[in-house]
Amino acid sequence: MPGTSIVEDIELIIEDIGGGGGKNPPPGGDDGDEGGKRRGPQVPSSRRYATAIVVAIVSIVMFFMAMASAFIYTRANSNRWVPLDLPAIVWVNTLVLLLSSGAMELSRRRLSLGDVRQFRKLWFAATALGFLFLAGQLVAWRQFILAGFYVSTNQASSFFYIFTGLHGLHLLGGICALLYVSFRKFEKAKVSRTVAAEVASYYWHFMDGLWIFLLALLYLGK
Amino acid sequence: MALWMVTYDSSGGAAPEAPHPGFLARTLFNTGHKVIGLRYLWLALGSVLLGMFLSLLMRIHLVWPGAQIPFLWGFGSPPERYAALTLFHGSLMVFLVLTAAPQAGFGNYFLPLQIGAREMAFPALNLFSFWATVASLGGMTAAFFVHPGTGLTLWTASVALFCLAALLTALNFTVTTLDLRAKGMTLPRMPLTVWAWFINAILSMLIFSILLAACVFLLSDRLLASRFFSPLTFLSNQPAGLAQSTLLSLWQRLFWFFAQAEVYVAMLPCFGIVSHLLSTFSRKPVWVERAAVLALCGVGLFGFCVWGLHMFSSGLNPWSPLVFSLLASSLGLPACVLVLSWFGTLWNAKIQLNTAMLFALGFVSLFLAGGVSGLFLARNDLVAASISDDFVTGHFHLVMGVAATFAILGALFFWFPKMFARRLNETLGKLHFWLTFAGVFCVFMPMHWLGLMAHWRPSGGDAIEITPLGASLRTFVTFATILTVAAQALFLLNFVWSLWRGEKTDNPNPWRATTLEWSVPSPPPVGNFGVVEPIVYRGTYEFSGAGRAEDFVLQTAAPAPLERALQRKQAAERSTKET
Repeated sequence: MPGTSIVEDIELIIEDIGGGGGKNPPPGGDDGDEGGKRRGPQVPSSRRYATAIVVAIVSIVMFFMAMASAFIYTRANSNRWVPLDLPAIVWVNTLVLLLSSGAMELSRRRLSLGDVRQFRKLWFAATALGFLFLAGQLVAWRQFILAGFYVSTNQASSFFYIFTGLHGLHLLGGICALLYVSFRKFEKAKVSRTVAAEVASYYWHFMDGLWIFLLALLYLGK
Repeated sequence: MALWMVTYDSSGGAAPEAPHPGFLARTLFNTGHKVIGLRYLWLALGSVLLGMFLSLLMRIHLVWPGAQIPFLWGFGSPPERYAALTLFHGSLMVFLVLTAAPQAGFGNYFLPLQIGAREMAFPALNLFSFWATVASLGGMTAAFFVHPGTGLTLWTASVALFCLAALLTALNFTVTTLDLRAKGMTLPRMPLTVWAWFINAILSMLIFSILLAACVFLLSDRLLASRFFSPLTFLSNQPAGLAQSTLLSLWQRLFWFFAQAEVYVAMLPCFGIVSHLLSTFSRKPVWVERAAVLALCGVGLFGFCVWGLHMFSSGLNPWSPLVFSLLASSLGLPACVLVLSWFGTLWNAKIQLNTAMLFALGFVSLFLAGGVSGLFLARNDLVAASISDDFVTGHFHLVMGVAATFAILGALFFWFPKMFARRLNETLGKLHFWLTFAGVFCVFMPMHWLGLMAHWRPSGGDAIEITPLGASLRTFVTFATILTVAAQALFLLNFVWSLWRGEKTDNPNPWRATTLEWSVPSPPPVGNFGVVEPIVYRGTYEFSGAGRAEDFVLQTAAPAPLERALQRKQAAERSTKET
């Protein structure tokens, strides 16, 4: 291709001359690991997905921080705080979610070795464990209701339902991402399977950490 | 609809090899960043007109409470309708105009163009954000017309939806700026507009999550009877005053954490736009460009930490007002750097006083005027002496509402030739500028005075009983409002007329500006840059280059020795191909 060599020459010269912006400008937006790959129009750079998920995680952290600070604030200022006994099954659920994260890491290791069959199996296990966690959370709700704690019973129970509910909703989004990685035909897709699995795993592990944080908050704050 | 389709008519052969899109793909589901950006601008235009009409109703009602306003009278129970009117006016102006127009409108249109990208990072997400914004506008409007109880629930849900849309837009902006810049578009070379959009996206991402959480709490209280804000359980055995302050302060904390920073979300892109316009029409580089970028970051950072200044009287820890008032005062530092940078740019410059520049200068004037009263509000001891509704209303309308509107108008006059290949009429534009400029000062300066006056009143006076001077001031403000709103007809006339009949510009770069959007035809084709990827060789503000024929250099202009080397190389390649 005659075009590429010129472009590469220009790049060399840019680095020599530096232009008007700064004395020694760092490379532009999309070099780095990908070099000149993204030349033609509409060829997506896969880095954007990893960036996006990190940015989204920051945003979700802020969302839950607002909720957590509301919890701490209400806890500290309420003189009618009724302590809350967490149903035992939430501890089992936590274990299930941790196992799911573990299975996902194992499966990504298989993928990096090129073993797609094993990857699929382990990935499926991670997804199933995710579903199991959600089912477990529903059981926890059920036990809570049977014990006579509704959303409107007191402030602590309101917080329990909203924390578990919103975490569950975000986790459901994660499950959709996991299913996408399982069933998408990556030959036609814009992203490679490795990138999709990596991005989904960031989010999934984050869901894990988020749940442990919320659980600790509910447990210690009771 | 024909208006935004214009963008696509001249796409020509530069479009990437895609099949011709169907009707729905071109209209409802069009993911093009320019189409979406324009649609946000249309949405903002509709909202600002409606919001202005509502403010007119409010002013008329304040001066002639007995007057039967057809629109308000039809709903009965006027006091609640008045509150609903204020809420509706505020939500339209803050969300759909001040947040949407400078960031989502101009940002969507020009951010990819200015950094040399062909599209936003996630076009489909962008489309979703847009329609969610439209839905939230619909919800807020509908909330005004239904029963107040249902209306508030609907309004809260609409705001939550708007937050979601704003978050996704911010995500898109951040990733686009980080990952889609063209070759050579290093961070120091980015235009200040891009910096402002980028910093603003990060700030939005952090604060709209907070408002979303607050809305979720409120919705859950209203729909599921949860007990986040509900006072019923422990109001009973507390002294009344104490209970009220602790109870409400959870909502106040969440809300003001968002709302104070939201002011900077509206202002940051405007700072960027104004710096850009001042530099372009002074034909000089932005003075201390690096410091200006740092100041933009500083505004974002400090703006995040000053929410407490709204809560001086709500039972905070006695030390925290001091901290917040220090933090709020320290916002003056980045603001000063920005103002200095603007004046430094204007110093000794060959200023081109066209309408876009006038609006940018008007922004500086309004920002300074409103900023000075902000100093009073940031001091916890002075607040006690000056705070009252009218003072605050005057302050934030000058510094946030009107100033940002001026920046939006300046941006519109500046980029109109790029978006529509026609120019807005300068004479009408200047007339509109001067009338509006005089009008807004006449509306909002007396409001500060009214606010101070309300405080001099001996204690316990009813809000309606004001002095004859106050009453005549109020009437003056109302007449000024009517005139200012009427002056906007000039703008509408200019806008609509110029869209179809305005002076055509064949020149892709009529302002002789330097950024990438001026290097492509107007309106830019789908994919923005044709088949060749743009390459950036220099910083944004290279004006008044000595010894050159022109007084500006496009960012894509290759340095001269390089140009020659390139030509030689191409010639050599052509000859090798031929042989």
